This record gives sequence, structure tokens and C-alpha cells, in this order.
Amino acid sequence: MKKIFAIAWKDAIIKFSSKSEWLFFVILPITFTFLIAGGVPSGDDDNRIRLLVVDEAQTSISQQIISELENSTAVNPEVVALGEAQRQFDDRRASVVFIIPAGIDIESLLNGSAQVELLQQPNNLNATIAERAVLTAIRRVSSSISAAQNAVNVREAKQAFASDAEKQTFFEESLEMAQSIQADAPERVTVIEGTTPDEIDYDPRTNTSAGQLITWVFIPLFGISALFASEREEGTLRRLLTTPSRKATFLFGTIAGQVGMALIQMFLLVGFGILVMKLNWGREPLALFVLLFASAVAAAAFGTTLGTFIKTAGQAVGLSIMFGMLFALLGGCMYPLELFPPAIQNAVRILPTTWAMEGMLDLGLRSGGMMEILPEAGVLLGFAAVFFTVGVMRFRYE
Amino acid sequence: MISILEVRGLKKNYGDFAAVKGITFDIKEGEIFSLLGPNGAGKTTTISMLSTLYAPTSGDATIGGHSITKDPMAVKQVIGVVPQEIALYEDLTARENLLFWGQMYGLSGKSLNSRVDEVLEQIGLVDKAKNRVKTYSGGMKRRVNIGVGLLHKPRLLFMDEPTVGIDPQSRRAILDTVKDLNKQGMTVLYTTHYMEEAQELSDRVGIIDHGELIALGTQKELTLQVGETDTLILHIGEHDDPEALANSLDGVPDVLEAIATDGEVSVVAREAEEVLAAVVTKANDRGIKIRSIDIREPNLEAVFLHLTGRALRD
Repeated sequence: MKKIFAIAWKDAIIKFSSKSEWLFFVILPITFTFLIAGGVPSGDDDNRIRLLVVDEAQTSISQQIISELENSTAVNPEVVALGEAQRQFDDRRASVVFIIPAGIDIESLLNGSAQVELLQQPNNLNATIAERAVLTAIRRVSSSISAAQNAVNVREAKQAFASDAEKQTFFEESLEMAQSIQADAPERVTVIEGTTPDEIDYDPRTNTSAGQLITWVFIPLFGISALFASEREEGTLRRLLTTPSRKATFLFGTIAGQVGMALIQMFLLVGFGILVMKLNWGREPLALFVLLFASAVAAAAFGTTLGTFIKTAGQAVGLSIMFGMLFALLGGCMYPLELFPPAIQNAVRILPTTWAMEGMLDLGLRSGGMMEILPEAGVLLGFAAVFFTVGVMRFRYE
Repeated sequence: MISILEVRGLKKNYGDFAAVKGITFDIKEGEIFSLLGPNGAGKTTTISMLSTLYAPTSGDATIGGHSITKDPMAVKQVIGVVPQEIALYEDLTARENLLFWGQMYGLSGKSLNSRVDEVLEQIGLVDKAKNRVKTYSGGMKRRVNIGVGLLHKPRLLFMDEPTVGIDPQSRRAILDTVKDLNKQGMTVLYTTHYMEEAQELSDRVGIIDHGELIALGTQKELTLQVGETDTLILHIGEHDDPEALANSLDGVPDVLEAIATDGEVSVVAREAEEVLAAVVTKANDRGIKIRSIDIREPNLEAVFLHLTGRALRD
């Protein structure tokens, strides 16, 4: 046991003898997770489409249109000057710009001469959605005004107004009433959410956190192969085998060290997810530990097997990165597996990253616990058993 | 004296190639035994089998009474190995390396720490113990490489060409260390292709060539095999033909043997002075310019030359 610990400790000292190791161990994984997930949650989670509004009219009607847009569930209006809006549109930083030109008032709306402008980026789904929202807002404002104007006409047909001021007051009261009725109108569409068990309330931040964690931890664990190759190249493996230590001690010590460091790395990333990104990783700590441990062991076992097939540390480093990135991509660590064709979704079940990712999503997105992640943990430990057996058998005969 | 190492018919084949062809020898407790031979002679393969890294194709050896094939773990307790390459972790300091390897030899706690201090003292690196090995010179690395092999005070130390590629000062220090270790009672099996090292260190020498042990004994016993002869080494001009000069010396009285090598002719004679004039005359007759002449009394180089017809460095 002392020898196993000595080997693991030696590998840890060597790993962190270079300060740049911290870059790959924690700095880059956290940075990538943070950036790809879109940073810290703002609190209100406004997912509406950003709509730049240029209000050149500055009338009560233009204010009402903007107010209608603010109540929209589809767009989030942001009033800016024309120059700024044009600049953002030209730089493609804004997908859509809504311009309310000078002269838009009740008269122009009533006589149909009012015209607004909408700048849209081509082939942009957000711009199309924003167009629908703008049309809806204008229609709502117009219909209120029409209703108020009709009320004025009916009133005037029965009894003429004493003055223009009385007529204007009547119009404004009618408009207010029309708007109030419109606001209190019952919902015409009832939304019923599905209850299918597999339905995931997809959260890109949780998905990114899990995917980056698995990617950044699996690649160095596959790199155990480079460790074995390096020990062979440097002659230290030969020397070690002349000491009264067994091959199994060397193998177990090397793997235990790497798995231990991987667990520390995973807990740092999980801690970052919980504390900074406010993700849901801390809900089932025991289940999370079991899943992370099984994942690390499976990846280490694959690295061990890989190490018995290659000759040099250079080869091992290249192959570790290649397999790590490939497994991460196909295992759903970079894009949700649901975006892949069904045949691919089934085929990638032969990869440990797929099961590790599924387990993480069970915990983070599907509110699962120990029972839910046991199948994934079991499969990962199965991978570990197979790869360790192959690795140890081949290692013996080298 | 008791034999600490007994090698019997040890053989190692790699496919059709026989690297070691059934060698047999003993090493007595407390002696320095050198395996002398050119590169590729089978020295490292022999040490690899004796240190239980490679299983022999046939034959066996016992070390401290333990068979290398039947009880390798017991053998590993008895031996220390200083490999030919620098087998250290370059990103660790000398002290960290020694602590790690000490633990691999089963040392721990205070005894490990005090033994590491002793070894650092022994190899003269106390001041540099906290520097990473990758910052060391070749000679300093060699010293740490030796230090690792000494940590558990082995009864038998294998040193596989420990002076390859280092400066004369470090080489001197290593040879002195080997002598000191031997004075303290450690038995040493030392492989080298430098005749001078074998000559300086060894109680007995085994000469190995093409996987065969072609001579074995004390230096005196070995030099007697070539008789009481001297060797003249003629260094000739680089454009001259050593073969022609060697052939011309056939039949010259008192010349026993003349062998041409690259830019040199080795002439074996009973008395160097008696043949010197004749040799110079023959060279002048053929227009061959002699740049210098060394006269050597019987040594291991001459023995190797006598046994194989080749110089040791070929």
C-alpha cells in the first residue's frame, strides 16, 4: 500500500512540477465552461429576442406601441438612437430593428397613412419572430384606437360635443377603456406541458458544465497511456521492475494516482458549477460521487489499454487528445445527443463518455438520484473491468 | 570465499538471434567482477537476465542462493541495479528521486530519510539535493543514478556501463565510488567496454564477445594467455594502408602477430625494442609514414586482440 501511495504521489509531483499544468487542470476547464455556458445567470433569465426600437415619433402612440412590445413574450424592446441601431444592424449584432418614424400619431393610424420600418437580417428566425411581435403590437394599439374612435362617432351621432376639448376627453376615456378591456381579455390559447418521463427541460448551462467536465477530465485520464510510454522510454519502468515491487503495484499505483487527481479536478469543476454558476450539482452528492468515480475509473482503464498498444509518449499524447475529443463529441459533451440521428444515438452507447454524460444529465436536468444513475455507473464500471483486463494482460507480456 | 552469484549455461535468444550463448561463471562475495566486451557483446542482456528483467531462454543463475527463474522477488531483495541509461525522474529533485526509489525498495520512515541523507553524502550531492535532476550535468545525473542502486545496501550491485558519455572528472569519481563500495564489503558486477576501467577495478574479469564468455580469470591469468609479450601500436598517416604494413611484417623475426585496424597497426612481439627497428624499416620501404608508436606491456586489450583478432573498440 505504501508503494502504491508512493507511486501516486510521485506522479502528482511530476504532474504539477510544471506550472502550466494548472492551466489544463482547472483554469481552462473553468474558463471554457463559463464562456460556453454563457456566464453567470442574470437572475431574471430573460430569453426574449432582443429588438432594437428607434422612436423618432416620440408620441403617445409610439409610446403605446413600445409598451405593447414590452409586454410581449417574444421580444425584449431596447430603445436606441437611429445611428446606434443602424451600426448594430450593419455589424450583425442586432437581428432586427424597428423604426417608428416621425409623424406617427392617431390621425395617421386612423386614416391608414402610418408606415413603420422593420430592418431584418436575411434568413434569420429571430427576425421573423420579431416581425410577428411588432405586427401584433401595432394591431393591438390600432384596434384600441379604432374602438375609441367608433365610440366618439356613435356619441357624436347621438349628441354633438360641446367643444373639441370635450371630444378629445371622450376619445381618451374611450381609448383607455378599450385598452383596459383588451388587457383583461381572456387567454385564447391554453398551454399544456407534456408529462412524458423522458422530456428534458433542456438547460444549456447544465449541459455545458457536464460536457466540459467530462471532456477535460477524460483527456488526461486517456493520457495514462503517455505515462506508461514515458516510463518505458526513460528506462524508469525497467528500473522499477528490478526493485522488489510487482508489476501490479506499479499499474495500480499509477492508475490510482491519476484517478485521484481526476476526482479532485472534477470536484473543483463541480464546485465552480454550484457556487458560481448556480447549477444543481449539489442536490445528490453521493450519487454524484459514484458517477464521477465510475467515469474516472472507466477513462483510466481505457488509457491503460491504449498505453499497451503504443510505443512512444508522443504517440500517446496525440492519440489521447484525439480519442478524448472524438469521444466527447460523440458522447454528447459538446452538443446534445438529441441533435444526432437516431442511429448515431444508439451507436455511441459503446462510448464511456455517452454514459457519463447521461448520468450527469440524470442528476443535473432530470432531477434523478442514486437509483437513476446506477445503470450508467454500472455500465461505466463494466467498461473499466473490460479495459483493465485487456490492459493488464497486455502489459504483462510487454 | 562463498559465491554470491552462480551463473550456469545462461542463454537468451531473440528469435533466431542468440544474444547470450550459454555463459557460465561465478562471482565471489566481496569481489569486483568485470564483464568486458565491445558494444553488442551481450553484457546488458546478461545483466537484464540476472536482474530478473528478462527470462532466460535456458539456463539459470542463483544470487544469494535464490534462483532468478524460480524466486525473482527474493533475488531483487539482494541486488541493486545501476542501469546504463539515466533511469530517473527528471522533474523530481535528487532527494525526491532517492525517496521514491527507496520506498520501492521497501524503505520507509526515519530509516528511509537517514539512508537518503547517507547516499546523498556518498555521491557528493548534498548541496544540490533540492535541485531538479533535469538541471544537473551528465556526471551529476550518473551519480544520482548510482545512488538509487545503493539505497537498500544491496549485497550484489550490478553496474551496467556507468561511465558512458561523461566527462573524465565524473568518470574518476564514479570509479572511486565503486572502489569505496567494494571496500565496504559490497560485491560488484561491472560491465564495460573500457579496458582501462576493467583493469583498474577488477579482481577478476570475464571477456564476452558475440554472446560468449571467451576468457575468465584474474588479470594476471588472462595476460598469461597471450604470453610474456609486448604490443607496439603504430599510428600511421591517414592516407597510408595499415593492411599493407601488417602484411609486410609477416616473417619478421620476433614479430608474433601484426593486425591492421583503422589507421593503426598492432604488432605483438616478445620484446618491443628488438623489433622496433625492423618495423620502422618496413614502413619506410613502403613509403608509409609512422606518426607515433606506443609500446604496451601485456594487458586486457592485448588479450582481447589475441582472442578475437579485433581491437576492443571495434
